[in-house]
Amino acid sequence: MAQVVLKDVVKNYGGVYAVNHVSLTVEDGEFVALVGPSGCGKTTTLNLVAGLIPMSGGTITIGDRDVTDLDPKDRDIAMVFQNYALYPQKSVYRNLAFPLQMRKMDKAEIDRRVQAAAKTLDITHLLERKPRELSGGQQQRVALGRALVREPRAFLMDEPLSNLDAKLRVQMRSEIKRFHQDLGATIIYVTHDQLEAVTMSDKMAVMNGGFLQQYDSPANVFANPVNMFVASFVGSPAMSLVPLTAVSKGTDVVLASPEGWEMPLSDANGRKALSAKSNKVVLGGRHSTIQVHKAQVPGSVPGKVYTVEPTGDVTFAQVFVSGAVVNVSVAPSFQLRPDEPVFLEFDQNRMHLFDAETEMALTL
Amino acid sequence: MSASTEAAVIHRTGIDGWRWFGRLFLVLLLGFTVMPMLWMFITSLKTGFAAMQYPPQWWPTEPTLENYWRLIDPTSSVGQDFLRYFWNSVWVSTLTTILAVVVAVPAAYAFSRFRFPGRTFLFFAVLLRNMFPAVVFLVPLFILMRVLGLVNTHGSLILTYLTFGLPLAIWLLKGFYDNIPVQLEQAARIDGATRFQAFFLIVMPLSTPGIIATSIYSFIGAWNEYIYAYTFLTRHDQMTLPVGIQRFFSENATDWPGLMAATFMMSIPVVVLFLVLQRYFVRALTEGAVKH
Amino acid sequence: MWNSRTDYLYVAPAIFVMLIVIGYPIYYTIELSFFNTPASLSLADKTFNGLDNYVTILTSPIFWKVTWQTVVWTTLSTFFAFVLGLGAALALNREFAGRGFLRGLLLIPWVVSAVAASYVWKWLYHSDFGVIGALMVQFGLTDHPINFIDNTTTSLYALIVVNVWKEFSFAMIMLMAGLQTVPDSLLRAAQVDGASAWQRFWHVTFPHLAGVSTVTVLLLAVQNFNSFIIPWVMTSGGPAGSSDIWITHIYQIAFGRQRWGVGAAYAVILFIVMMVLGYFYVRALTKGDESRAGA
Repeated sequence: MAQVVLKDVVKNYGGVYAVNHVSLTVEDGEFVALVGPSGCGKTTTLNLVAGLIPMSGGTITIGDRDVTDLDPKDRDIAMVFQNYALYPQKSVYRNLAFPLQMRKMDKAEIDRRVQAAAKTLDITHLLERKPRELSGGQQQRVALGRALVREPRAFLMDEPLSNLDAKLRVQMRSEIKRFHQDLGATIIYVTHDQLEAVTMSDKMAVMNGGFLQQYDSPANVFANPVNMFVASFVGSPAMSLVPLTAVSKGTDVVLASPEGWEMPLSDANGRKALSAKSNKVVLGGRHSTIQVHKAQVPGSVPGKVYTVEPTGDVTFAQVFVSGAVVNVSVAPSFQLRPDEPVFLEFDQNRMHLFDAETEMALTL
Repeated sequence: MSASTEAAVIHRTGIDGWRWFGRLFLVLLLGFTVMPMLWMFITSLKTGFAAMQYPPQWWPTEPTLENYWRLIDPTSSVGQDFLRYFWNSVWVSTLTTILAVVVAVPAAYAFSRFRFPGRTFLFFAVLLRNMFPAVVFLVPLFILMRVLGLVNTHGSLILTYLTFGLPLAIWLLKGFYDNIPVQLEQAARIDGATRFQAFFLIVMPLSTPGIIATSIYSFIGAWNEYIYAYTFLTRHDQMTLPVGIQRFFSENATDWPGLMAATFMMSIPVVVLFLVLQRYFVRALTEGAVKH
Repeated sequence: MWNSRTDYLYVAPAIFVMLIVIGYPIYYTIELSFFNTPASLSLADKTFNGLDNYVTILTSPIFWKVTWQTVVWTTLSTFFAFVLGLGAALALNREFAGRGFLRGLLLIPWVVSAVAASYVWKWLYHSDFGVIGALMVQFGLTDHPINFIDNTTTSLYALIVVNVWKEFSFAMIMLMAGLQTVPDSLLRAAQVDGASAWQRFWHVTFPHLAGVSTVTVLLLAVQNFNSFIIPWVMTSGGPAGSSDIWITHIYQIAFGRQRWGVGAAYAVILFIVMMVLGYFYVRALTKGDESRAGA
């Protein structure tokens, strides 16, 4: 296993930048999720690491080797594809053996490794079958097995679970995680599903529009999103964002709504709000940090219930606040009706403030 | 051709009417299709004298295979000529087919996979080639063949057949390559294959049905081609079957049974090839039309 | 996908061959059309004569007669081949024993050589011993066998029958494939909504066939416009030019009378006509391509 370093990586098609100066380091044995909406450049980034498409600029090193100009076959990596890409004319055994044959390994060693991989993934009984005779989950295992036999320096996975049904996906998620822990493998994992990224990875790289937005542990990304995009992309339900105006009132700072209400800010939050380029500020809050009241309490802001979604152990609701939708959660015993007026209290220590102009998080 | 009035009547009687109309139509169409072939075969079993009768003998009173024996008898002059034409056709068609596949496979693969500038333009150039009749190319090609010293050689035919067969061959094969996911090759390259190995070990075996279909198509096209062979070949020992049969006919103007036997023999290879591999052939042909 | 220079190596052989055998002749045909070239085709002796060849063609009454015959030939052949093909495709669009066999049988005319077909039909049409004439007398349609192909009023139509026989099954397989793309669920929905068999065909099946029908009709039209073998082998355009169409006419002028320049000018005019047809052809094809890409 090895460290993978991307330095200033660029892929452009004329004036269109699919990957725009991305730099990141995947430590040896780390599980990194590349996550973002479709078209954000995550799959392109993975294909650049694999060497499947030529780079427009930058360098990639795997271990101590600069692989920027190497063919995929010489990079010593394995890849699992979204559609599994199993060779349809070959049996499962031959699929697993193929990467070893390409490396001119002798027959006995190939057999030993194929059997070992098959045993690990519990597909020994499928070895003589053709891929089309397998279920989606079985194909997924074979695809993993083909990556596994070679003992590569890094594993690349391109949305490997997105073709599976919901139940199987959860099961395979934990299996891939186990696979990572057991092997201590370096894994770069592409997904559009932020929940997958949060639950599986050591670090997540959030991408949008070809740019790397934030690269940190899921906990840090969740707690301290660097900008509005990351804030609204990570977490479910998404972080709610309310555009407001920061106004100084003597020593205090308040957020003013066009509707007329004002929300006082703590000292620290007040200084953050004033550091914005203009006085336009976006208030961000996750559902777990917002308290819902039926009557006005100090510091709370007025809103109107839009929808109510009971899920059993928690009830989610959407509330209109100053024209924006705010996701909140309440205990199932707390009765809410659509169109009911409510008051929301944002936790001053866990709220987020963003500069409306730059969309960046405001920090001290 | 009273289909429209029949349809109007049937319309009122509903589903059964339609079904009956369909059956009747099929039977008539089958008669139309089969009758000429049947009459060809029946005539080929007659003696010259029996064929030249009015009203005709619906079934020969003394069926004979004499006409066929004569064609394949290497000691008679007719047999020598016929076998020579037959062999020329086999040779030209086979070589054309092999070359067409060798050139079309990489081209079709490229058209299917790569997005290089001019790709669209090239592809339509390929399609447009289908639109121009042979006659347009005949005079300049005749001159070209004269310059190259290929007049009266099979080389002239193979070169031209290759060209008129190529656009369609590329088109057919491209349809097959489009259906092979590109991830298979990517997987192979990551698994340690070079680009060529990925193509040769993974993609080629998967496109075998396409290659078979393209081969039959090229073969049948070359086997049946007439106009270039008619123009480029004047020496009768070089002639292919379609042209040779014409010569055979003009020299034996009244030997209809012999001619029918010859057309029958000439049709056998392509019909057998077609019937055996019909599945691939039909799929390839319609794939492009339905999807593109 | 990839964009390296080696990509061109894959298409280079194909392009090279086509440049020689297609590009060069097109250029040469255009050049020849402005010259008077001796019958011997000795190119050194050709003389420039401007647009004379074109004037010769466009002022010749035969040109218009042949053009009209070409239109009749192309239109009728295409129409009947398409209609018979559509009928056959619909009739075969139901599972029944022997369907594959029937399809194969119906396709044989399309597979056999046009030369063979021409001779067989020439024999069927034979003025004295032809089976068609004999059958017509047998059924009491005429008193004595009609001579279809040695007759200036019927020869063109007699050949159209042969042509339709030869190519209707091409339309059939194209449309059969098209029919398979009609979703069963839509047909059932229409049935539930109370649509009759005819209404189902007209409102569900036919719209689904529109794309493949356009391509088929265009392919047939191009193929028919370019026909040579059947009229050439059966009548050589005769009698008295009554079954002459463009391609046979051009062949006659160039190779029969060695008027290379006029022949080339004809070919250039034909180019222009084909380019117009080609525009619609490509448009029909690319339209399908886009809808597939969108899917």
